[in-house]
Amino acid sequence: MAGSNEVNANESKMAVPLNTWVLISNFKLAYNMLRRPDGTFNRHLAEFLDRKVQANATPVNGVLSFDQLIDRSTNLLVRIYRPAPVPDSEDPQTSPSSATSSIFSSLISPPSPDPFPVIIFFHGGSFAHSSANTAIYDSLCRRFVSLCNAVVVSVNYRRSPEYRYPCAYDDGYAALKWASAQPWLHSGKDSKLRVFLSGDSSGGNIAHHVAIRAIESGLTISGNILLNPMFGGQTRTESEERLDGKYFVTLQDRDWYWKAFLPEGADRDHPACNPFGPNGIDLKGLPYPKSLVVIAGLDLIQDWQLAFVEGLKKADQDVKFVYREQATIGFYLLPNTDHFHEVMEEIKCFVSSNC
Amino acid sequence: MGPYPCGSAATGWEGGRSEAPCAAPEIDGLLAGAGYRVRSSDLCHVAQRLERLESAMVGSSGNHVDFAHPASDAVHYNPSDLAAWVDSMLSELAPADPGPARHAPAPDAWEDQIYSQPQRAVAARMEEEEDSGIRLVHLLMSSADAIQRGDVALAGSLIDEMRLLLTRVNTGFGIGKVAGYFVDALTRRLFSASSAAAASGSPAEYEILYHHFYEASPYLKFAHFTANQAILEAFEGHDRVHVIDFSLMHGLQWPALIQALALRPGGPPALRLTGIGPPSPDGRDSLREIGLRLAELARSVRVRFAFRGVAANRLDDVRPWMLQVAPGEAVAVNSVMQLHRLLSDPDSPGPAPIDSVLAWIRGLRPKIITVVEQEADHNKPGFLDRFTEALFYYSTVFDSLEAGRASCSGAQQQQSTAVAEVYLQREIRDIVCCEGPDRAERHEPLMRWRARMIRAGLRPVHLGSNAFKQARMLLTLFSGEGYCVEEVDGCLTLGWHSRPLIAASAWRADDFDEDARPIPDNFIFNSISNTNESNSSINNNAAMLRRRNSNNNNSRSSDSSSQQESIHGM
Repeated sequence: MAGSNEVNANESKMAVPLNTWVLISNFKLAYNMLRRPDGTFNRHLAEFLDRKVQANATPVNGVLSFDQLIDRSTNLLVRIYRPAPVPDSEDPQTSPSSATSSIFSSLISPPSPDPFPVIIFFHGGSFAHSSANTAIYDSLCRRFVSLCNAVVVSVNYRRSPEYRYPCAYDDGYAALKWASAQPWLHSGKDSKLRVFLSGDSSGGNIAHHVAIRAIESGLTISGNILLNPMFGGQTRTESEERLDGKYFVTLQDRDWYWKAFLPEGADRDHPACNPFGPNGIDLKGLPYPKSLVVIAGLDLIQDWQLAFVEGLKKADQDVKFVYREQATIGFYLLPNTDHFHEVMEEIKCFVSSNC
Repeated sequence: MGPYPCGSAATGWEGGRSEAPCAAPEIDGLLAGAGYRVRSSDLCHVAQRLERLESAMVGSSGNHVDFAHPASDAVHYNPSDLAAWVDSMLSELAPADPGPARHAPAPDAWEDQIYSQPQRAVAARMEEEEDSGIRLVHLLMSSADAIQRGDVALAGSLIDEMRLLLTRVNTGFGIGKVAGYFVDALTRRLFSASSAAAASGSPAEYEILYHHFYEASPYLKFAHFTANQAILEAFEGHDRVHVIDFSLMHGLQWPALIQALALRPGGPPALRLTGIGPPSPDGRDSLREIGLRLAELARSVRVRFAFRGVAANRLDDVRPWMLQVAPGEAVAVNSVMQLHRLLSDPDSPGPAPIDSVLAWIRGLRPKIITVVEQEADHNKPGFLDRFTEALFYYSTVFDSLEAGRASCSGAQQQQSTAVAEVYLQREIRDIVCCEGPDRAERHEPLMRWRARMIRAGLRPVHLGSNAFKQARMLLTLFSGEGYCVEEVDGCLTLGWHSRPLIAASAWRADDFDEDARPIPDNFIFNSISNTNESNSSINNNAAMLRRRNSNNNNSRSSDSSSQQESIHGM
């Protein structure tokens, strides 16, 4: 028992840099303290332990952020990240010295006259952890802005176990609808919202399901970017058994999070969890967006992620799948590996070619 | 701190400013971006502490979800200071830092990433201690091996090295403490004139050590409790009962039995207690004194009570007639950690004293024989094997004592723990230093005792689920939740973190023909080597015994000579 912990610790230590190991192990242990066996969650402690950052309308490395309440009924907040607005020095009316210049209006001015992508981002955390203002996701969203010259809208969706399916999807769809109603987010000669849905872990799952709702309501999505998306199913796959407990994640914790998110009494073949499983819908012929799916080779749920990719392919959908054999979960959180840099390049290519 | 007088590394993140930190070079910039301030030089140390925290959190089922959430009551300090947070979690969850023997050394893969700094402070000290602990174990093994091969010079120099190492490790707990005792024992073995060094101290002193060991840990309480349960059940329906205690000590076991008998439905039996113990050197009769105290207690709960003391230095000096077993009384023989003293070296020829003692025990036709022994193999002929076994056994016992000491508050309890260690030290010295007839602590595992008892013609008595459940409940009185009670084939063991340390079993010899021969050796071979069929062969032999003996004839003539006074209560 103690012995097997040492073995597992040694394996995961070989796979990631030391600071990554410390970061993810810290999350793992803190999260273990938050989940209770009876299915409840220590939200108070979770919020205390979560490292958050404030929005900052002063550009840092060319990126600024600000928060907006987009749905009062559910207290739905988003954090918007954008390139620093370029002041128009030739127009005296908009010069910085003008006493009437509105800071807010400069915030919501289009970042460029050319078409620009809007990336709606859903943070990870297995539906239960983290927020839009969590430090690690704040960093990631800022990087997306610089990488893709995009406006990133990070959605502070409602989390389980307090809010189960379909609340997170509802919030995601609400953010999409909000974005489609913001004139400043429309760009190009045809004044289109060039929107990408993206997310890691549970956020990837949310992105997929919001894309399906978008189809149903006729909204066009330029692309989906899923990083280690969280899927599962009732059966145990080979990767789950092989990698259980080896790289920071256990089957047991996966089961807990699904149980906390899915409706009471549902099993993991619920379509939210297993979209191409026995209860899934057929996407053939539907205008589902092009997808970029990134899978880490040391993620125990990769068999489900691979099944997701297969499901999209079988439905004749356009999917580019990137498999990083030696990557663990969370590789995209710290810019200290090839996995990180190469995947960022893939994302940049995907966005620019589909924008 | 570093040469950069930048304040934002220290304060930037509390205010939540999303600037890239102007980090002093020691702070890991990437973790700072994630909201955690950790010095790069501390990364390795923090990683090790995280591993320990995980070990502390993983329960006995290896199940994270079963984690008992004391963290929700814990005080959490600033989570950004990751090193401090992990340490505070560790001190909440694992107050007694377990010995480094249980943790892997820092893996080689990280040596590149440890930045060389003039002050490595806590991280370095931690590593050094862990390394020293592992070195100590290696040195102990090497010196035991040298002694076994007769290389006294090498053993001596290794002992010197260990003494030096002991000055650099924390000898207050963990491997440092246990190693200290073993180094001391090795020294005595090499440099003492006689191997009877372990036998120092008077019986009175030994009884005091025993009493403190009784207070400081649950092992003896478990022994007394399970034995009393079995005796109580065996005595059901009998009006006259006789308990023979192979080692009276301070009579700690008997008040509970006397009280339980007093509360028996239908009223208590008349109880006789014969306590065997060493003679008192200074003319006092300590056995009698204890008998008087127990008689007083029996009187207060209205149990008819008689006490007899039998003074003997060794159990094999006792003769059955000294015990004055009367016809018609139900006999219980109680041996807590005594029988192993009657064993000899496994490879020495001829019968050992245990055989004759078991034979006369059987002759008493007891309703119940309660046997409690240390669950270890310290009777191996090879010195290195024995030494290794003892090192791990006593490390585990010391760990459990340490956990008990850390979680108790009384000064008296703390003192008991310290004296309990001296009690254990005597055993360690005996096992390490003594050879031949000088060695008394010849512990053997339960399986071997069972075979021996069966070979002697004794029948096993299942200790019962009642005893099991109650023993477990007893353990909840003790903090330091690492103890576990297990049931093995009708016997109970108490251990620390799944290592059994003490085993209790019960036997009887009251229902067979006096002339019946002891069960032949091939039966034992069947019962211990072929577990699938052992039940059927035991059942066959039991049926055979029952058929042979339809008349349970208890009458015996007893010798009238009596050497000791008897004390009557009531």
